[in-house]
Amino acid sequence: MIRIAWRSLTSHKLRTILTTLAILLGVAMISGTYVLTDQIDRGFKQIFSDAYKGTDVTVTKKAKFSGQLTGATEGLPQSMVDQVKAVDGVSAVFGYVTGMGAVAVNGKVVETGGSPTLFFSYSANDIAPPQYIEGAPPAKSGEVAVIEKLATDQKLTIGAPIDVITSNGAHPAQVSGVFRFSAQSSLGGSLIIHTTLPDAQDWFDMKGRVSEIDAKAEPGVSADTLAQRVRAALPAGTEVKTGAQAAADQTKSVSDSIGAFLKPVLLSFGGIAVLVGAFIIFNAFSMTVAQRRREFAMLRALGATRRQVLFSLAGEALVMGVLASLVGLFAGLGVAAGVNQVFKAAGFEIPSSGLVLQPRTVIIAMAVGVVVTLLSALIPAQRATRVPPMAALQEGAQLPPSRFARFAPIMGGVVAVLGALLIVAGMYGPGSTMIRLATIASGAVLVFVAVAMLSKFVMRPLVGLLGWPLQKLAPVSGRLARDNSRRNPGRTALTAAALMIGLAVVVFVAVLAQGLKSSFIDSFDKTVQADYIISAKNFMTIPSDTAQRVAAVPSIETAVSLDAQQVQAKGGSLAVVWGIDPFAIERVWSFDWIEGSDAVLSKLGTNGAILEEQTASSLGVGLGDPVPITTVEGKRATLNVMGIYRDPMMLNGITVSAAGYDAIFPTPQAFMVVAKATAGSDIGQTQKAVETALADTPTARVQTVAEYKKTTVDLVNQILTLVYGLLALSVIISLFGIVNTLVLSVFERTREIGLTRAIGMSRRQVSATVRYESVITSIIGAAMGIVVGIVFAWVVTTKFAGQGITFAVPGGQLVIFVILAVIVGVVAAILPARRAAKIDILEAIHYE
Amino acid sequence: MSDMTETTPQPGSTAAPATCENGTTIGLDDAVVQARGVTRLYGQGDACVYALAGVDLDLQRGVYTAIMGPSGSGKSTLMHILAGLDRPSAGSVWVDGVEITGLKDRALTQLRRDKIGFIFQTFNLLATLTAAENIVLPLTIAGRKGNEAWIDELVATVGLGDRLKHKPAELSGGQQQRVAVARALASRPAVLFADEPTGNLDSHTGEEVLELLRHSSDNLGQTIVMVTHDAHAATYADRIVFLRDGVIAHDCGRLGRDEIYDVIKSLEHVG
Repeated sequence: MIRIAWRSLTSHKLRTILTTLAILLGVAMISGTYVLTDQIDRGFKQIFSDAYKGTDVTVTKKAKFSGQLTGATEGLPQSMVDQVKAVDGVSAVFGYVTGMGAVAVNGKVVETGGSPTLFFSYSANDIAPPQYIEGAPPAKSGEVAVIEKLATDQKLTIGAPIDVITSNGAHPAQVSGVFRFSAQSSLGGSLIIHTTLPDAQDWFDMKGRVSEIDAKAEPGVSADTLAQRVRAALPAGTEVKTGAQAAADQTKSVSDSIGAFLKPVLLSFGGIAVLVGAFIIFNAFSMTVAQRRREFAMLRALGATRRQVLFSLAGEALVMGVLASLVGLFAGLGVAAGVNQVFKAAGFEIPSSGLVLQPRTVIIAMAVGVVVTLLSALIPAQRATRVPPMAALQEGAQLPPSRFARFAPIMGGVVAVLGALLIVAGMYGPGSTMIRLATIASGAVLVFVAVAMLSKFVMRPLVGLLGWPLQKLAPVSGRLARDNSRRNPGRTALTAAALMIGLAVVVFVAVLAQGLKSSFIDSFDKTVQADYIISAKNFMTIPSDTAQRVAAVPSIETAVSLDAQQVQAKGGSLAVVWGIDPFAIERVWSFDWIEGSDAVLSKLGTNGAILEEQTASSLGVGLGDPVPITTVEGKRATLNVMGIYRDPMMLNGITVSAAGYDAIFPTPQAFMVVAKATAGSDIGQTQKAVETALADTPTARVQTVAEYKKTTVDLVNQILTLVYGLLALSVIISLFGIVNTLVLSVFERTREIGLTRAIGMSRRQVSATVRYESVITSIIGAAMGIVVGIVFAWVVTTKFAGQGITFAVPGGQLVIFVILAVIVGVVAAILPARRAAKIDILEAIHYE
Repeated sequence: MSDMTETTPQPGSTAAPATCENGTTIGLDDAVVQARGVTRLYGQGDACVYALAGVDLDLQRGVYTAIMGPSGSGKSTLMHILAGLDRPSAGSVWVDGVEITGLKDRALTQLRRDKIGFIFQTFNLLATLTAAENIVLPLTIAGRKGNEAWIDELVATVGLGDRLKHKPAELSGGQQQRVAVARALASRPAVLFADEPTGNLDSHTGEEVLELLRHSSDNLGQTIVMVTHDAHAATYADRIVFLRDGVIAHDCGRLGRDEIYDVIKSLEHVG
């Protein structure tokens, strides 16, 4: 029977290829995701294990939590280096300072596409020194050595001038050498700069301190033993790890920060693609079962059991699933390589350590492909077994309706309700974020299935409505297309449903993004009363004295620095603490007060705080309540809630006075500067004046508020474009589905098409009929997708309304989506229409 | 079915032997297919129509029987019921000693697989398999290897030697039907049912198929039941059963074409 299945697949090549492609692309996406993230993992593992090669013990200041915006750490006293050196069994030891900043060449900052520019103080005692390929390590103040990538990209030679920008200003320096780190010329777009220890301590406000101490054990002393001894010798608050552990932790931290975002995002798009593929497989099998009922009847008449018929079809699905998964698995390598190229083009090079195909990737890709294909084919195959053997002897015997057919609307309704319940449960129920997201996702899948099941019942009127203008446009072809689409509403519904899924997600994302953009602008306009925003380019840093320097510009009335660092609030969730000048802020900022007023600001003192509404409610605190916070270095402070305001987009978190901020954090960390020009000054000229004042700080970006808003909206649009790109895959897969359906329905109607041709229909009219049918299907898919997408987005925005996402429908974009759907329909019809037009009249009317 | 209350007569040696009009008495012991009081009605209540209104029939082993009758006479329905494809509203059918009325789907399937061969008007070959693969399909389905000598003999008999590797689409109608005949014979069925086997063929190729059926009856001792409305096809049969309005109107031995036309005419006159 497997041979029969195989033969059936090979003799219907187009159908097999289209159906296989439907699942293949989704599998490729999933396998590509794993290959890519494994590659990132392995790349960083390589880098960090090289960096800690020979290092047996590392000592750092213990961090209370890990997060972004944590700022520079206080570090360890330099005297501790000697303390470590004195530990029995230590053969070598050195302490160094590390920090993040930026470099500028010829006054232009070197962009890293969001990756950090890392500084390390060089030590002659370095246990795992980098390989110098040119020049020498920095020996005196003002000398820096740079990683090969920076030297190559910026054409830096020995002695070239370079500016180092850190949070305490710009520092001129000279290139003394070029090195290779971990045998890699670059580190995922990151830049690495070596400085002398005193320079690093100066530039990163680490006088008398080091960031980390690395030690090497004497022969015969194991790393674990040495770590224990060092731990015993040092005071509490220090973290002592073995080199291997430090390398593993850092690998995990870096991989997680990339992979934690990349993996679920890519996997979800892969999942959507697989879901669309499942719909197409279901539809393709349903159609072929209907067409091949004669064949199944004959097999049954010859004595094949129902089980054999079922197995034969399941065999076809199995072969298809295995084939699709295998090809998809390897196509995934291509996907990963492609994403690498995209990253490379964006200046964010993934450490190149070759593509990794782990057994886990193979298992998941194969399982997803095979299981989804089999499951999707199961119901149609089950139907095939109910073809009575009698059908072999009768012309035009129909498949018996399913025993459950009359319950279909009820079942559809049940699935819809179940889906809705899951979505609500996921949104408001308990459990971890991952579980809740998974619950929402499975709810959404059920809703898609329910829409596909139920839309069958409104397909006739819907097609009638959409077909009406076509019929006016082309009386013959339009009419026929309309009738054909209505003839088998279940099939039209399923084909459209495949397109619906992709579009629903597109619309969902579009609506959310629109809501995000419009609420950002609303919120920004409401609160920000300034003319300029000075921020750091690409997540780099601006010096903490930027506000003073901007304020010094004559035509600037006020400039306020917004400092930000992350803390752990109430011993649990992370929150951002904003430091502001409480006396100047009201001139550039209009707080949307819920409790309190601007009068509170001047009374903040060192332990008063005002909280954004969301933060207050998630911490469960109100006016007058204490909020205990812990900094990344374990320093504790208790703030008093003196006011509550609404500002989900900008100052989202806990706001304290500059004095309070300085009392909590050891180092300032300017996030942005908000400035206002004096009345009557020229906006453009003042902007130039500010830029001139900050000429030695090329990391600073001086923007008018209009420019700043545009940059933010552009960022959202960029992400949106990326998401659309990923969703295009699902739309392409549903295009295959439409082609498949059309090819099969043209094949089914061979005789009918021959007859219409015989009575005078032109080839052009025949192909137009197919094209219109395709367009009707795709518009219905788009319409369903738009409705479902808008509903999903509405549900989500109601939940996140407090976090500043409003419900806004991007009308213009929806029109574009519909036009796109029409194009999809026209493209999908090309091949089937050609086939239909080529049908030979004589052969067709003799066609059985 | 509820309005059919008559009890089903049991076949066996005690029942009166059926008598042919030409006087031949056929022993019941050797009947491969037996039907007793077979009735089939379609529809319900006032709209119900009798397709078969009580048919008793015994088909002897090795005999080539033709079932004739005008459209709507019930000949196809009778064949479907005898072959276990359709169920009678009342009455019983035995095939090779097994009562098939009342058998569950699984048992019926096995019966079709092991005891029954089919030839369809529209050939019904699997387009994706070669002629040779189509021939052994029933064996494939049954999971049997089959007797190679027997298959070779079959292939030789149907005369397809060099066309065996071809797909059905590359064969003529006559060749396709010859493949279908070989397929039906491959599992050595107790009885072979042919539904208008020449209906889709021209007279010349139709002739070839009829010769082939005759040959398998004579040389292989194959029991054959052929439904046809073609008088010429019926001349090949050992026995001809005429149906009219759901009952057997005439049952006789081998007839020539003109004699068949006479019977048909005489039956029309009765109406």
